Amino acid sequence: MVIANRLSRLQDTLSQEKYFRFIFLAPALVIVVLLTIYPIISIVYTSLHQYHYIQGTKNYVGFKNFIRLVNDKFFLISIRNTFEFAVLSTFSELLAGLGLALLFKDRFFGRRYLLPIVIMPMLLSTMVVCATWRILYDYNYGLINYIIRTLGLGEVGWLINKSIVMESIVLIEIWQWAPLSFLILLAGLQSIPDELYEAARIDGAAGIRILWHITLPLLKSQVLLVVLLRSIDTFKLFDKVYALTGGGPGNATETISYYIYREGFTYFNLGRASAASVIMLLIVVAISAIYISFTLRGQTS
Amino acid sequence: MKRIVKYVLLAIVLCYTLLPIYWMAITSVKPPIEYITRTPALVPKRPTLSHYYKVIVEQHFTRYLINTVTIATGATVISLFVAFLASYALARFRFPHKFDGFFLVWVLLVKMVPPIALAIPLYVMLRSVGLISTRLGMIIVYQVYTLPYCIWMLLGFIRGIPMELEEAATIDGASPLRILRSIVLPLVGPGLVATAIFSIIMGWNEFIYALLFLRTPDAFTLPIHIANYITEYETLWGPLMSIGLMASFPVLILSGFLQKRLMRGFAMVLK
Amino acid sequence: MKIWIKLMVVLSMITGLAIFTGAGVESLAQGEGIKLLIAGRDGTYGKAMQLAVDAYLEENPRADIELLKLPYAGLSEKVVIDLKEATGAYDVMMMDDTWVAGFAAAGWIANLTEMYMERELSLDPDIVGAAVDCARYPYLRGIAPIYGLPHVGNVELFVYRKDLFDKYGLPSPPETWDEVLNAAKVIDENELDVHGVIFRGRKGNPINAGFLPIFWSFGAEVLDEEGNPTVNSPEAVAALKFFLDLAEYAPEGVEIYDASDVRDSLLSGSAAIATEVWPAWVPDLDNPEKSQVVGKIEVTVHPGQVTKSAPMIGIWHLAIPEASTRKDAAFDFLLFVTSERMQKRMALEVGLPPTRASLYVDPEVVAKYRWYPDQLKALRASKVRPRLPEWIEIDPKMGFYLNLALVGDRTPEEALNELNAEIADILGK
Repeated sequence: MVIANRLSRLQDTLSQEKYFRFIFLAPALVIVVLLTIYPIISIVYTSLHQYHYIQGTKNYVGFKNFIRLVNDKFFLISIRNTFEFAVLSTFSELLAGLGLALLFKDRFFGRRYLLPIVIMPMLLSTMVVCATWRILYDYNYGLINYIIRTLGLGEVGWLINKSIVMESIVLIEIWQWAPLSFLILLAGLQSIPDELYEAARIDGAAGIRILWHITLPLLKSQVLLVVLLRSIDTFKLFDKVYALTGGGPGNATETISYYIYREGFTYFNLGRASAASVIMLLIVVAISAIYISFTLRGQTS
Repeated sequence: MKRIVKYVLLAIVLCYTLLPIYWMAITSVKPPIEYITRTPALVPKRPTLSHYYKVIVEQHFTRYLINTVTIATGATVISLFVAFLASYALARFRFPHKFDGFFLVWVLLVKMVPPIALAIPLYVMLRSVGLISTRLGMIIVYQVYTLPYCIWMLLGFIRGIPMELEEAATIDGASPLRILRSIVLPLVGPGLVATAIFSIIMGWNEFIYALLFLRTPDAFTLPIHIANYITEYETLWGPLMSIGLMASFPVLILSGFLQKRLMRGFAMVLK
Repeated sequence: MKIWIKLMVVLSMITGLAIFTGAGVESLAQGEGIKLLIAGRDGTYGKAMQLAVDAYLEENPRADIELLKLPYAGLSEKVVIDLKEATGAYDVMMMDDTWVAGFAAAGWIANLTEMYMERELSLDPDIVGAAVDCARYPYLRGIAPIYGLPHVGNVELFVYRKDLFDKYGLPSPPETWDEVLNAAKVIDENELDVHGVIFRGRKGNPINAGFLPIFWSFGAEVLDEEGNPTVNSPEAVAALKFFLDLAEYAPEGVEIYDASDVRDSLLSGSAAIATEVWPAWVPDLDNPEKSQVVGKIEVTVHPGQVTKSAPMIGIWHLAIPEASTRKDAAFDFLLFVTSERMQKRMALEVGLPPTRASLYVDPEVVAKYRWYPDQLKALRASKVRPRLPEWIEIDPKMGFYLNLALVGDRTPEEALNELNAEIADILGK
């Protein structure tokens, strides 16, 4: 109640005109609306048509594109691939980041220099990361297979074998982005007062129990933040697929984004690509609704 | 005992993090005979700078670098400015009918939307105003990425600032703009920097819109140039790695330089 | 504190720079002299074009030519969008002969026959007729106007290790695909480091180009007389099943193999048979510096099975987008690149197969590539892929389904049935 009063007092004294606050918001509003409203309307419109790009013909077909999509095995596989990748990456990055954060929590010799090094992968351009790992993963000339070969085990077709190609890409994703979850979790860890640990130790608790009962519950908001950020990003996966596998082998690594790209820019079937985009948007809205309910609940707690 | 385990783990982490980067560095100076062999060498036998020469002189590297830098920073500057105003408004003012809530939800949605979904209509939009293959066009389109991000981050920062200072200033008769400039801005400073850096990295890194909206070679950005190398069917790894290293230097240097503020800014977010 | 104020100032300056400079396309149009932007292929084709560009720049030092070297899929994507949007970004482009129908029908590329007439020039009769024909639209041999100048004399060849065939007493050259399969099996099982067969398995154009000759040999066709798709006919299924049997003797990872992988395998001696080889890939077969199999490889046309099929032609043309503002300079460049002098240089220095008949019997050229006279015969007796405007959409689809069958995600019947439905959809049937 006190806060609300202070806010309105501040607000009243700040804004002479009623519309002042809108002026502040206006530029952002204009840009966001322009860049999203027209495209969304346009996509919905195109999705209801059969559009041959090359011949330039367009005819209204109602929901035909959607029906074909829902029955299209490849589209469903791409949805499955996308979720598989997002869940696997996010979870792994969370674990890796947590491990790293625990390692870096307390001061040790050289921590100041080690930290920037550990963060480096996150700052590299994704294409650079792809290029480097493409070379490491090469079946014949790559370093990783060489090491495995000298250890006596057979070579692995990292980007060739459809059973593990997804995991290979997840590995690259972890290498690149675990530092982000590391930073967020580290900041969270460092905000836990040492007294709590002291108290627990006095009470006789050992390492794992401390971790489980004290540390993790207090990290809840950071964990949620990592999950939110990373799952959003991994859901959109496109760059690595384009550069490393082209969706293959078969369509083991085809994600929804890649499917839309292929339909729209390789087959030039804009009607179907737009329909797939619409479906993807609906999925995104559904997931966002879940997140919003989570964060709202988080705020009240 | 625990100490030893910790150091061993740290050593493993160090190796795992640095190995690919080290590999990138030495491949960039190996002559072709040395990188297409079944037994890759950990140390190049006859290092050469010919790849760097080829890339800079023959392949217009500086042109792509300039394109990438200007587009990324341009997009970031605009986003920061717009987002700063918007976030302040959202954090401090009340809006009718929960308008601010709706706007924030919309921003979150935009952040979640996969860029490819909007690509085709955005292409049409850009084309109709003649901004295909231009830097200005890319700066505008990149707002889809950078603006939601900046709004979100800055909102968190501003909310973390106590209101007393601003109140005191208003009582003293300061105008809102004065308050923004002298009070809020300095306090959000580190946060702004952290946001700016990550936003620039986002723009630097961006691939899909650059792929689709930049049609002529003189407008390409670094990610496109690199991707052309990866997908070509010759193994031109030497030049590829030298481009990769050079493309990473500016960002690495920038963030190394501002590392302290980066960390401070990060700590601020999570309050 | 002060640092980041300075930083913001610097950043704002950069923004200003970004906005007020860098006009992209316009910067190319300014200035005097010849300026050309070429959309070309990578690999050997890229090297050859670079050679031509450098030679042109020697004769015209004030010209400014930029060459883009793209993989097949990348080229088609870039080119289609630019032609459709009529941006005029490119002045010269390399064009696969299967794209001619689509592009010419849409009016996207310049009618070269007209350009010849305007300049009171005529097409050099030295250029092989079959090659010229596949640049015609409509496909009326010898009559219709041409929309591209033949640049790369690509005709699909079949290559095998004669020494290994002789060693195991196998019929050489193999006359039917069954003989090929048998040979692959025998060699694969008996030779330690040699794979029986090698081909391009990568999805899209690569696997499709490799499969079509087998497809036709088994008596299958893409379309019937009424233009309905028939890729799931019994003959087609038989062809695909055969292809999968043959793939048993191909190396691991063949499902992503592209041209350079096939070439490297051949040259290193680890493949006994290559079912689909384009001349541009194999100039080094007899080059002791790069090849381990000098003199051991025999280059011929592929065998028949049900029908005695003809080799597939796949000419790369040079075309001029209708929207280009520099058509005169572009045409001049086209004539330069396809001149006898340039084609001979490209053949000798890079191994690019020419489109001029005289060069196939030129003593200097034949000394280096002993199979060229046969290659000329193959060009003249070749078969074209269907001249459909929609082929540029059908080709990647077909390649997609073939690859699925290859990796085992679909049975041959399933893959071909689904493909047939998709093609019918594209053709609007």
